[in-house]
Amino acid sequence: MRLVDLFKRSLLAAAIAATGAAQAQDIKLGFNGDLSASPSAQSGKAGVIGIQAAIDDINAAGGVLGRKLTLVVRDDQSQPPKSIQNMSDLIDNEKVVAVFGPTNSGNALAWKHIPNQKKVVSMGMIGSGTAITHATAPGAENYMFRISMVDREQVAGLVAYAKKSGTTKIGLMGETTGYGQGGLKDLEEISKLHGLTPLATEKFAVSDTDMTSQLNKMKAAGVDTILVWAQGTPTGQLVRSMEKINYFPTMLSSWAADNITFFDAAGKTLASKPLFMRTLVNPTTPAQQKLYDRTVGQLAAPSAFPFVIHGYDAVQLVAAAIKQAGGTDGSKMREALENLSAPVQGVKKTYVKPFSKDQHEALTAADLAFVKWEGDKLVPHTDAIVKSLTAADFKR
Amino acid sequence: MDTALLQALISGLAVGSAYALVALGFSVTFTTTKTLNFSHGEFVSAGAFIGMSVLFLAIGKPLTSTTFGGAQPGAGVQLLALLAALAVMGLIGWLLFVFGVRPFARRPGMAWVMSTLGFGVILQSIGLAIWGPKPVVVPSPVGDDVVRLLGVGVRPQELLMLAVAVVVMLAFDHVMRRTMIGKAMRAVAHSPNVASLMGIHVTKMMVGAFVVSSALAGLSGFMLAPIAQASLFMGLAVGLKGFSAAMIGGLNNARGCVIGGFLLGVLESFVNLWSAQWREVAVFALVILVLALRPNGLFGAKTVEKV
Repeated sequence: MRLVDLFKRSLLAAAIAATGAAQAQDIKLGFNGDLSASPSAQSGKAGVIGIQAAIDDINAAGGVLGRKLTLVVRDDQSQPPKSIQNMSDLIDNEKVVAVFGPTNSGNALAWKHIPNQKKVVSMGMIGSGTAITHATAPGAENYMFRISMVDREQVAGLVAYAKKSGTTKIGLMGETTGYGQGGLKDLEEISKLHGLTPLATEKFAVSDTDMTSQLNKMKAAGVDTILVWAQGTPTGQLVRSMEKINYFPTMLSSWAADNITFFDAAGKTLASKPLFMRTLVNPTTPAQQKLYDRTVGQLAAPSAFPFVIHGYDAVQLVAAAIKQAGGTDGSKMREALENLSAPVQGVKKTYVKPFSKDQHEALTAADLAFVKWEGDKLVPHTDAIVKSLTAADFKR
Repeated sequence: MDTALLQALISGLAVGSAYALVALGFSVTFTTTKTLNFSHGEFVSAGAFIGMSVLFLAIGKPLTSTTFGGAQPGAGVQLLALLAALAVMGLIGWLLFVFGVRPFARRPGMAWVMSTLGFGVILQSIGLAIWGPKPVVVPSPVGDDVVRLLGVGVRPQELLMLAVAVVVMLAFDHVMRRTMIGKAMRAVAHSPNVASLMGIHVTKMMVGAFVVSSALAGLSGFMLAPIAQASLFMGLAVGLKGFSAAMIGGLNNARGCVIGGFLLGVLESFVNLWSAQWREVAVFALVILVLALRPNGLFGAKTVEKV
């Protein structure tokens, strides 16, 4: 054997060994969101349970492109600086190929420049703030995707309901956090699209225990339908305040009312007051029931189950993107997500081309269901108005 | 009077009574040691959780439960829970003084600010480790059905807290003005050295102040939990507002603190009737205005700082 030949052969061997090593390497996925600090933390925990369940299933079936998926979890304790730091750490040090989360919408807005700059897909599955998935500039490459509720989609559904009910006497209320104010802005804009002018717009703080003053103003203005954007606990305090002044208008609220914190705060009787929307009321398909039975024991409350599904399906979509891209290059994954060629079988539904260049929401108003509390259970709500709603009614 | 205005007044007094109780807690340490417990708010949360834990244990649920599930602990159990909240918080107050205040008190600098703040962070972190972040709805000892007076609705627990705030204020007022122990406490605040020469056990007085102040935080938490829910973050807002109430009414005057609390609660409620958006602006503008015109608060005695 000549020396040159030996050199060539050893080079080839090294190359094969290197590819082998790369193939055997796991694909790292990251989660960055609140798991411990804010009342929403239980949603974050449920999301991680869903992500882990999907990863286990995919790995049991042989992984993606022959590689196993692993999950790196970072708790941001709902603090924006910590969340930003986690994002850089996950992408730069842990080299994750996609990040799930966050729990709190504000934190996504604080770091959305990072995945966009580093070209790493961010797949939201909890925070519902409308602006999260908007491109930073028209036509700019956008790495922010979501499979969750979206405030504006819920607002589109709720205002459509109010309009169809025939009322013109609507009132808007929101808490003074980023979440409440963002939702209030959506409510104002979409009411305008329907030609509805609110008779009153009122605010309250997230820690308020008495909103009777604001409600008395609504009452005096003759409001018969209140649309509310707030988290679970203050929404509960709001219905308690309604009871104090014995004023119960039709109440359409953000999906925070599905949270056990709302149910606890309002109590069994008052909890039935608001009508709201969520991605799923109860497990209906066999796949949903199976996932529910498998994870419900780990959940703080069964009402957190939709986040398990969001997390589960988020992993399925990312895995499909990796397959289609033929690897974990961020830019190729984004292109794959925006143009998924094969339908993706999720637990919520089968996703047929869920995303495009301008549409980064996997779930929209038509995917949502109206829901109410009845006793201590969430039940689907149907009435003549819900039945009459068509896609054309959902203005956004 | 217009029902809406009357409702705002009653609701404001109810919210204000929480501020009043917290303000009293600030007042007690200030009048004795010239220091403040900057984590009084966290102490309020801690008190709520201790009371809640006793209730859980008494109805046979694990300490770390997150819901009462409609169970209604009896009056005896509620009283036991209250006593436990007072005692444990008093003990924590004693620890705070020994480890967080005494080593730094009467030394130059503001080390006690940091150490009291740190104490609160530690308490909160321990609480998070045990109970997690979920708020817990605590059943009220006096029921939850709305009481209606003249077309105005109020919860029984809110009326109870209002009454407790007034009673505690009267008791403090009496102790501080009319009894030897109150005079001794004021003497310690005025000049520890002179008080010591007069035969007053200065350290005992200071320990006492921290124990009483922390027990008051426990009481506030216990009273507030059925209204605002027990949450490890519940003390933050009420702590800040309680401190503001103390500044408005006068930190060194029990009556002033409570009136300051009521004033703040009613002001908030009336501003809500106008525009809730401007509430915090109105509250803190008032605090600044009062401090500018009357640096010792509306009812505070003038203190002369000798340099």
